[in-house]
Amino acid sequence: MSSCENPNTDKDVLMTRRQKFDGKTKLCVKCKENTGNIVIRYAVYCKSCFFPLVQGRFRKSLEPTINAPNGSRRKGLKASGSLVVGISGGTSSVAMLDLVAKTYFASLEDNKNEANGKLKGGKEHPRLVDKGVWKGKPTVCYVEVCGAFPGEKDRTEEVRHLVESYSYANFDFVPLRLEDSFDQKWWDTVGGGDLSTAARSLGFDMTDEELRLTTSSSDISPLTAMQTYLSSLPTPTAFHSAVQIFIRLLLLHTAASQRASHLLLGTSLTALSVNLISGIAQGAGFSVAEEAQEVWHPASDDALPIRIVRPMRDIGMKECAVWDWWCNLRVLAHSRPSQSGGKNAISALTKDFIFGLESDYPATVSTIARTCAKLTPKEGSDGICIFCRRPAQSGVQEWKARISIRSYQEASLAVSGNTRPPHLTEEEITNLTKTSLDSGSGPPVPSLTSQLCYACHTLLTSRSSRGTAASLPSGQSLNNVPLPFWIRSSIETRSFHKHAKHDFDADITHGVKLSRSEMKDQIAEFLLPEE
Amino acid sequence: MNTISIKIEFGGGLELLFENKRSYRVDIPSVVPTDNTTDAEANLADKETKDVDVDYLIHHMKDHMLKERVELFMEKNTVRPGILVLINDTDWELEGEGEYQLKNGDEVVFISTLHGG
Repeated sequence: MSSCENPNTDKDVLMTRRQKFDGKTKLCVKCKENTGNIVIRYAVYCKSCFFPLVQGRFRKSLEPTINAPNGSRRKGLKASGSLVVGISGGTSSVAMLDLVAKTYFASLEDNKNEANGKLKGGKEHPRLVDKGVWKGKPTVCYVEVCGAFPGEKDRTEEVRHLVESYSYANFDFVPLRLEDSFDQKWWDTVGGGDLSTAARSLGFDMTDEELRLTTSSSDISPLTAMQTYLSSLPTPTAFHSAVQIFIRLLLLHTAASQRASHLLLGTSLTALSVNLISGIAQGAGFSVAEEAQEVWHPASDDALPIRIVRPMRDIGMKECAVWDWWCNLRVLAHSRPSQSGGKNAISALTKDFIFGLESDYPATVSTIARTCAKLTPKEGSDGICIFCRRPAQSGVQEWKARISIRSYQEASLAVSGNTRPPHLTEEEITNLTKTSLDSGSGPPVPSLTSQLCYACHTLLTSRSSRGTAASLPSGQSLNNVPLPFWIRSSIETRSFHKHAKHDFDADITHGVKLSRSEMKDQIAEFLLPEE
Repeated sequence: MNTISIKIEFGGGLELLFENKRSYRVDIPSVVPTDNTTDAEANLADKETKDVDVDYLIHHMKDHMLKERVELFMEKNTVRPGILVLINDTDWELEGEGEYQLKNGDEVVFISTLHGG
């Protein structure tokens, strides 16, 4: 019960919990014959109508994305590349893997009707019409995250067992580890390309808002490198978001190396709503559309553009859990929430909120997803964020410079233009500016900041008053944090291609103080002549 | 004291809170205090009583079976949001949720949806 209205005049404002089932009829709304077994958003379904309902929603989300853009659906489903399914072993990804296997890879024998030996489904069943939707063998990828959560057990073999249980689908199983992001071997396997020695040892300075690039020691293990990266993050929120981004990028690069055209992720409707709200809360509103569906263009020329599809996005967590239960699927659960101290991360708090909301008001969760699907950014994008690889809003740093409150150490960055602190005299400002320019003697040190989207920059720089409990692995320092391989590689490419543009970027991010006459020159054409 | 036998099963990782065992059979009294106190020694004579229902079963599980982290199982005197309950293979929302009166031999399934996507 929470409201700002007056409950004495309007009873509705109390938002008392509504019964999800009105008790009128227990008959299934679809077949109208059987007694219902499950309530889905106020509607009652029986067990035999439940399976086609969920499968129907799954296909409706996935199939319009399968054919190449402008391809006609009438000729059947034909994807331009292979299929990669990313699973975590959680409730909805286990259900998704089951749906993928049963819908597109089921053997004909398994589908024979026991009574008359005929195949279930008509002539139009996708198994017949769309035989071989994807090219090559389907791949299932799993990213083991235990390296980031001390004390958690490695579940790779359990997931392998789960994947191998679909022997008829003949899935290739590709296990990955979160620390592969920092592993040269993985980067070579996915065809990331050779890096120069300098790029191989790139790191950055986490203590400074500019996130200047440094040279890190390249001889630490990938696991230590990842742990250094994660424990140097300023907040638990950043920690959890970084893990999510690593998983996504590991899957994407692996999918590209498999010449995949589709990467399926098991985000359910409930999880999608959590991701949308928590993303917006973390400043990722610009890429809200990508959260539901996105197309990623790999850097290498011979890889296909990859569509990241979330075919479970119209299916709630409840339906996924019941699907798993009724199909006897074992969910590979972890008991993470209480261990990592991540209870106060924005993503965990949002999850608690949305699950509570779903339990009390089931329809609101789909409203979140539907409302977010209508949102489009007002301004254009000027490139791809070097970290999360989603579109970055143009002019973010200029905007951030205008709205942010900064500490005195960084005041030198903000004193140009109209953001000067009013209590400082002209002389003090000049001194501040001078020190900042002097300190960057020689060519400006390349920094990450100008190549990050707003959310990723905030993730790396926004500090919590409490800090994180995590401590750095011994011998590592915040001034020299290793970078994942895809960032090292793009920095190398970008610094080669965009050398000319660099000076311009530096002007924007460093801020250059102009004299009064220079200012006047810049706006001269807009000034009215003095009469 | 009359008791009834109930089969309890766990899914979706909820078994992690219950010694990692997925199936239990429990005997619970057929008449229980209205306030769901599960102390077996309590004298029912000076308390209001009711026929045993799922609410009582949940309290029984919390007091006698749960091994760790109550907050991951219960919230506000019922199961935490994100935990589904099936009674004899039917959503408990169709059966009156916690007010469903348990019968001897009933099967109650608790499924967590809180573990990953």
